[in-house]
Amino acid sequence: MKKKLKLLFTSHLHDRFGLIMRFCFLAGLLVTLQLSASGSIYATDSNSGANDVLAPQQVKITGTVTGSDGTPIPGVNIVITGTALGTVTDAAGKYSIEVPRGSKSLRFSFIGMETQDINIGTLTHIDVTMVESGIGLNEVVVTGYGTAKRSDLTGSVSSVKTEELLRLPTQRVDQALQGRTTGVFILNTDGSPGGNTMIRIRGLNSINGGNEPLIVIDGLQGGNINSLNPNDIASMEILKDASATAIYGSRGANGVILITTKLGKKGKPVIDAGYNIGIQNLARKLPVMNASDYVRYWNFRRSLDTGQGNIPTPIFTDAEIDYYDKNGGTDWQDVVYQTGILQNSNLAISGATDQLKYMVSGNYLDHEGILVNSKYTRISLRANLSADVTKWCDFGLNYAYTKEIYKSPTFKNEVGWTSEVVNNAPRWAPTEPVYDENGNYWKHRSGYGAPDTWNPLASAMEPVIDNPTYRNNANLFLNFKIVKGLSLKIQGGAQFTNGYYNDYYNAKTLQGLQYNGYGNVNKNLYERYQNTNILTYDNTFGEHHITFTGVVEQVAEEGKGSNIEAWDFLVDQLGIDNLGGANGKITSSWHDKRSLLSYMGRLNYVWKDKYLVTLSYRADASSVFGKDNKWGFFPSGSLAWRISQEGFLRDSPIVSDLKLRVSYGITGNQGISPYQSLASLGSGEDYSYPWNGQATTDIGFGIAGIANPELKWESTAQTDIGVDLSMFKGRLTATIDVYKKVTDDLLMPRTLPGYIGVSSVIDNVGSIQNQGLEVMIGGDPLAGKLRWNTSLNFTLNRNKILDLGPDERIGYRPSYGGYSLGSNFMFLQVGEPFGLMNGWKWLGLWGVDEDAEARSYGQLPGMNKYWDKDNDGDIDNNDRTTIGNGYPKYTIGWTNLFTYSNFELSFLIISYQGNDLFNTMRIRRETYEANDPKVLDYWTPENQDSDIPALYDGKYVEEQNLINKLIFGNSSGATSQWVEDASFIRLKTITMAYSMSQKLLSKIGFTKARFYVSGTNLLTFTKYTGYDPEVAQFTNSDATIGVDLSSYPPAKTWTFGIDFTF
Amino acid sequence: MKKGKTSILNLGLLPVFLLLLLPGCVELEEKPMDFTGPDNFYRNLSQIESAFASSMQRIYQYWGAYSYTYYNFQDDDQYDYGELVIEDNHGEDLWTSHYQSIADLNPAIKALNENVLGGSATQEEIDLLMAQAKFVRAFNYFSLVRLWGPVPLITETTDLVAGEITRAPITEVYALIESDLQFAVNNLPVSWPSEKIGRPSKDAARTLLAKVYITMATAPMNDATQYVKARDMAKQVMDAGNYSLVQNVEDVFKFENAYGPEMIWSFNASPDDPATEPQIWLPGSMADGWGDIHPDPIWAAAFPDQPRRNAYLLLENFDGVPWNEDPGFYWNGPGIKKFIYESREDLERYFSAQNYPVIRYADVLLLFAEAENMVNNGPTQAACNAVNQIIDRANGYVDNPNYPKLTTALSKEAFDAAVINERNLELCFEYDRWYDLCRKRLLYEKSVPEIQQNFTEDDYLWPIPINDMRLNSLLTQNPGYAGP
Repeated sequence: MKKKLKLLFTSHLHDRFGLIMRFCFLAGLLVTLQLSASGSIYATDSNSGANDVLAPQQVKITGTVTGSDGTPIPGVNIVITGTALGTVTDAAGKYSIEVPRGSKSLRFSFIGMETQDINIGTLTHIDVTMVESGIGLNEVVVTGYGTAKRSDLTGSVSSVKTEELLRLPTQRVDQALQGRTTGVFILNTDGSPGGNTMIRIRGLNSINGGNEPLIVIDGLQGGNINSLNPNDIASMEILKDASATAIYGSRGANGVILITTKLGKKGKPVIDAGYNIGIQNLARKLPVMNASDYVRYWNFRRSLDTGQGNIPTPIFTDAEIDYYDKNGGTDWQDVVYQTGILQNSNLAISGATDQLKYMVSGNYLDHEGILVNSKYTRISLRANLSADVTKWCDFGLNYAYTKEIYKSPTFKNEVGWTSEVVNNAPRWAPTEPVYDENGNYWKHRSGYGAPDTWNPLASAMEPVIDNPTYRNNANLFLNFKIVKGLSLKIQGGAQFTNGYYNDYYNAKTLQGLQYNGYGNVNKNLYERYQNTNILTYDNTFGEHHITFTGVVEQVAEEGKGSNIEAWDFLVDQLGIDNLGGANGKITSSWHDKRSLLSYMGRLNYVWKDKYLVTLSYRADASSVFGKDNKWGFFPSGSLAWRISQEGFLRDSPIVSDLKLRVSYGITGNQGISPYQSLASLGSGEDYSYPWNGQATTDIGFGIAGIANPELKWESTAQTDIGVDLSMFKGRLTATIDVYKKVTDDLLMPRTLPGYIGVSSVIDNVGSIQNQGLEVMIGGDPLAGKLRWNTSLNFTLNRNKILDLGPDERIGYRPSYGGYSLGSNFMFLQVGEPFGLMNGWKWLGLWGVDEDAEARSYGQLPGMNKYWDKDNDGDIDNNDRTTIGNGYPKYTIGWTNLFTYSNFELSFLIISYQGNDLFNTMRIRRETYEANDPKVLDYWTPENQDSDIPALYDGKYVEEQNLINKLIFGNSSGATSQWVEDASFIRLKTITMAYSMSQKLLSKIGFTKARFYVSGTNLLTFTKYTGYDPEVAQFTNSDATIGVDLSSYPPAKTWTFGIDFTF
Repeated sequence: MKKGKTSILNLGLLPVFLLLLLPGCVELEEKPMDFTGPDNFYRNLSQIESAFASSMQRIYQYWGAYSYTYYNFQDDDQYDYGELVIEDNHGEDLWTSHYQSIADLNPAIKALNENVLGGSATQEEIDLLMAQAKFVRAFNYFSLVRLWGPVPLITETTDLVAGEITRAPITEVYALIESDLQFAVNNLPVSWPSEKIGRPSKDAARTLLAKVYITMATAPMNDATQYVKARDMAKQVMDAGNYSLVQNVEDVFKFENAYGPEMIWSFNASPDDPATEPQIWLPGSMADGWGDIHPDPIWAAAFPDQPRRNAYLLLENFDGVPWNEDPGFYWNGPGIKKFIYESREDLERYFSAQNYPVIRYADVLLLFAEAENMVNNGPTQAACNAVNQIIDRANGYVDNPNYPKLTTALSKEAFDAAVINERNLELCFEYDRWYDLCRKRLLYEKSVPEIQQNFTEDDYLWPIPINDMRLNSLLTQNPGYAGP
C-alpha cells in the first residue's frame, strides 16, 4: 500500500493532465469519506416513501387507449407501476382496473409504442394516446463512460434496438447487426457454423493496425461479440464520429460498439423462454458436368493432344463410357454437403425490487453445419445484478460464462490447398467413386480432373478437430452519489479466456499420410483486467445544463500459450491423445503483456435545450509503442443546434425535431502486437536446421526484428456534419451524416533493403483518407390497424490511400496455391482505394475475322484476347491494369415490419453494390480441369458467341509456327476473365410471427407467447457465379478482400421458433 | 440503515478505494518474456552455434528444402522452360536469403571477435566456432558475387538502416571470401564426430576455396594466376585422402552415402524438417507427381548412354514403363532421379529427407583437372587420371567407345571443354551448371537455338533487387536492367 501511495505522487510527474485528474479523484474521495463519516445526509430516510403502505383500499380507474390518429388500440398492457397487477384493453381500447390506494402511477405499454407512466393522483378516469416509438428523443442513449438523452447528443451515434434484433431468430449479434444501420459494413467472411464476420465502421483506416471496431460490453472493453447471447442485450449503440469515439482515445479510430446487457424491471419476476430450430441447406450449388458428358468431353480433349508427334489414346474406354451412361457418376457436392440443423434455446429470469434488479439467463446453441463434420455449440450463462446499498451508493455485477466449440474441416488453407474440401469437392471429376472396392477412400486418377488433390470426403470427415474456448467475464462496479449531481463510479472488470485448439490428421488424410499421422495440441490463456474510475458531475442551472465526466482508466492484458506439433505416430488410432507415441514433435510457447493507462475529461454543455457543446480530451499511454513515444493525446469537440427549439419551429405541426451537428476530433489506433519496437531474435521452426546432420533439427536463433524506439500511435482526424430530423411526431425520421477521415502515421511494416537481413520494421508511415455519406430514413407509412414500420439506410464510403511511405504501392499475392498466381494481384496504391485488383484485361476471344491480328500475338481465332495496353505487340507486365475492386461502392439495408392484429411480418433486404470478386475456382473448373458444364459450349467458327476458348488440335497448332506473345510468367490467372461483378441484393431474412392475444394468455397464465417462422438467405439477386457474393473470403486482411478463396459457403435457412414470457 | 454501520462500511471501503483509484499499477515499459534481443545473446557456445543453424535455414529454404529456386536457374541448358529472359525481379528471393544468412552470422562473428565468451571457452573452441561462421559467410558471399557481381559487403552489425552502403568491387568481395575460407581451412577439423557429421570439414573449406580460385581465374576476373592456387587447393583434398568417389554410380546419392565418402558438404535434410516434396521431381504417374522440375528433353537426349544415365535420370516409372510410353512424363523426356532415393511408399506419402549436395569429391577431381590443364597449358596425366576416375565410374568400369576416357593427346582447349562437359553431366541439377556457363561465357553457345536470340551479355549478372535500389540510392543497377 505504501508503495502504491508513493507511486501516486512520483510516477508520470511529467504528465500534468494526469496529475490534475488524480487530484480530482482524491478530492472526490475525500468528499465521499467526509460525507459518509459524518453520518450521510441520505442515510436517514431510507424507510419512507412507497413502502409506507396502509390497509388496501381499492380505487377503480377506467379509460380508453387510442393511437395518435384516434383509433382505439386493443391489447395494450396496463400495470400498476412497480407491481405485477394489471390488465389489457379490450377490442374498443377500453380498460378498467382496481388500483390500491396510494399507487403512484399506471404503466401503459404496447409493442412498437412508447411505454408511458401516468401519475394517478386523484384521477379515476385516464385516457391515453399512445405514441409510436420512433426515435424517442428522451430515450437514454449509452455513450462512452456515461449516458445521455438522445436529444442532447452532439455526435453521430446509431442505436439498434433489441426488439429489432430479436424479432428474427438471432444466434449471433454481429450477424444480426448486418443491414440495420448506416456506416456499419458487415461481411460474413465464412458460412461455417460459428464462423467469422468482419465489421467495419466508416471504411478502412489502417493497413496493419487492424480495422476492427472496439467492442465495449457493460463498460468492459475488448469484449467478444460472437460469443454474446443476443437475448441478453438491452441496447446497442454504435459510435461513429470523433466526438463520440475520441473518449476512447487510442482505441476509438475504428468506431466503437457499446453493448449494455439486460437487468430486470420492477414487478414480479419474469421468465422468458424461447426455442427455435433451423433447417439449413447449401444456398447454391456450383454446376458440374454429369459423368456421361464428362467422359466424352475428356476423350475428345485427349484426341486433340497430337503435339510433338503424340498419338493420343482415349482416357475412357467404351466400356467405361457405357458404365457411366448406365450408372451415372459422383456428385461431389452432394457427398460433402448435408442438411444442417440448428437449435437454440434460451431461458432468462429477471425482476426487480426497490433495492435490487437482477437478470439471470442461459443459452444453448447447437449448430450442425451443412458441410459434413462441421459443428458449433455454445453454452452461455449470465448473471446481472444491481443493488442500491444505501441511498448514496449502489453496486452492480455482471458475470458471464461461455463455452464455445467450433469445428469445421479446414477451408482456410491451414493444411495446404490440396486437401481443402470446399475448394476440392466441386473440382473432382464425376467419374471418381467415393470409395474403392475395399472401402478405402478413392484416389483421383491422373490424366484428367484434379488428381493433385485429396479425396474431398476424406479431407472433411477424417480430421479430428476439438477446440473449445472458455470465457469468463466478470465486471463489478460501485457507484457513489457524493452530492447532488456528483457521482463517482469505480469499475473493475476481468476477462479470462482459455482457448484450446487440438486437431489430428490420421493416415486417411493427406497430411496424415505424408507425416504418418499429424496433429497439434494448442493451449492459450488470455487475461485482461480493466479498472475504470468515472467521476460525473451533472447539473442544471436555469437554462444551463452541464455534464462533466472525468476518467482514469488502466488496462492490463496478458496472454500465453503453448503448442505441440507432432507427427509420425506409431498408433494412428490414438492420435494426439497419445503424444508419447509420436516420433516427431516441435514444441513452442509464447507469452506477452500489454498495458494501457489513460486519463480523460469531457464536458457537455447545453444552453436552453438549443445549443449543445461537447469537448473531450484523452491522454493514453500504451506499452506497445517505442520508449520515446508511449503517450498519445486525443482531443475532440462538437457543436449541435436544435433548430426545432427555436421560436419559428417550436410549434411547427410538421417538424418535431431538427438538429444540426458538427464535430471534429482525433482518435488513435494501437492495434499492433506488443514488442514491435524492440529488436528481436527469432527461434523455432523457421530458424532451425539440422546443422549436425542428425535426424532432429538443431535449434537456431536468428535476427528477426530491428528496434524502432520512435514507434507511435496511428491517428485519425475526423470531421462530421450531420442532421437529425423528425417529422409528424416521429412518424418520419431521417439522419444524414457526411464525414471525412484522414489517418496518418499508419502503423505499417516499412520495407528495408534486402541486404539488411530483416525484411521490414513496423513504423509510422503512410496515410489514408475515407469520406462518406450516410442516410437513414425511417417511419411509419401505415399506422392504423395495419401498421408498417420501415427504415432504409444507405452508406457510401470512398477510400483513398494518400501515402505509403517509401513505397508507391504494396502488392499482395493471395496465398492460396494452385491458382497460377505467381505474382502480386491485390495492391494498395497511392491515390487509389483499397481492394484494387491488378492484372490483364481480357477482351473475350479472337473472332474468325481477326485471324491475322490473333496470329501476331501467337494466337488463333477462338483463343483468349487481351488488351495490349502499350500496343507493343505483346502482352507482358507493362500491359497490366486495374481490373476490379473488392469493396462495394455503396451498401443499402432496408428493414420492414408489418403488424396486423396479432400477426407480424418483418423482413430485411440488404444490398452491396459495385464490388468485384476474383473467382479463383473458375480458373481450374473452366480450363485444365474442365468440369463446369459451361465448357461444353466452347468456341468454334460456327459458335463464335462463346467465352470458352476453342479446342484446337495440337498438331495443327504446332504447324502454324506461332510465336507466343502472351508473357504472363507464372501469373496467367491474373486476368479480368475471372473477375466478376459481385454486387447483390439479398432478402436476408423474412419472419412471420403470431403473438397470442392477451385474453388467451391470461387463461394460461402467460404474459406473452409468440410463434414464428423465419427464412434466411432465401433470395439473392447477383451476377456472381461462385458459391456466394458475400461469403467468399476467410481472409481478415483488408488489403486482399475481393478474392474468392473457397470459403465455407452460406446456407439457406428455415427456422421455426416459439418465445414465452410468464 | 443505522448510522454506525455506515461509518464502518465506509472505513472498510477505504482501502478498496485506494486500490482502485491509484493508477500506475500498469507497467508501460516493455520487458519481453518469450524472446530475446541480439544485445544479450551470443554469450556461450550453444548460443553461437544456434546462429549457424539459423543462417543455414535461411538459405536452405530456397536452395534445398522447397527447391523452387530452380526457377532462378532454369535459363541454363539443363532445365526445361529456360528462356534467357531475365526479368527485373529475378533472383530477389535468393538475394534476400543470403543476406539474411549473413545477418545471422555477423553478430556471432562480432561477439567472437570481442571475446564475449571470455574465459568460458578455450581459444581452440573459439577458433572452431569462428571457422564455421566464416565458412558459411564465405559460401553466402560466393553465391552473391557470382550472381550479382559487386554487392554490398556487410561484415559487422552496424546501424545499417540509417547508414548508407554501396556495392563493393568484386575484388573486395573475393578478398573477404578468401580470407574467411583461409581461416576455415586452418581451423576446421579434418572430420567431425558422427553426432556432428553434417558440419563443414577442412576439406569442404578447401574445395570451396579451390572453386573460388577457379572462378577468379575465369570470367569476369580472368585472373589466370589463380589456376595454380585452385589446383593446389584441390590437390590438397585429393592428397589428404579423407574423401573418395563412391564405387558404383547408382549409389552416389543413396542415404548411406549422405555424409561420405563422396559427399563433402550438403544442405542437410532431416525427417524433422523434410526437404522438398518429391512430387516436384516426379511425373504424374508416380506418387501423383507434379513434374515441375525436369530436364530439358534436348539436353536429356544428349546425355550419353552409360550407367550414369540410369543413375541420374529418371527413365521409367515404378512399374518399369519407360518415359516415352508414360503420359505422366508430359514434357516428353526423362525426369531427374538424383533426389528421389526414397522408397515408393515414402514418395507416395510426399516424404523426402534427401540431402542436397553442395560440395562433393567428384567436383574436387574436376576442379583439379581443369586447373591442372590450364597451369600446364595442356592435359597432364594427373589431370586425365582425375577426370577418368569419374568417366570410368560413369561407364560402369567398362570401356565405352561412345564415351571414352580422356588422354594427354588432347589439346588444352579440347581437354578444357571435355572437363566442363563432364561437370555438366556429373554435377547436373546440383545448381552448378549456371555458374560454369557464366564463368566460361558459354551461355549463348549452349542455349538451344530458339532462345539464343534472347541472349545478351547482360544475362551473366542478375538485376539488383529494385526494392534495395529504391531504398538506397547509392546502389547502382547491373547493365541491362531497370532502375527503381
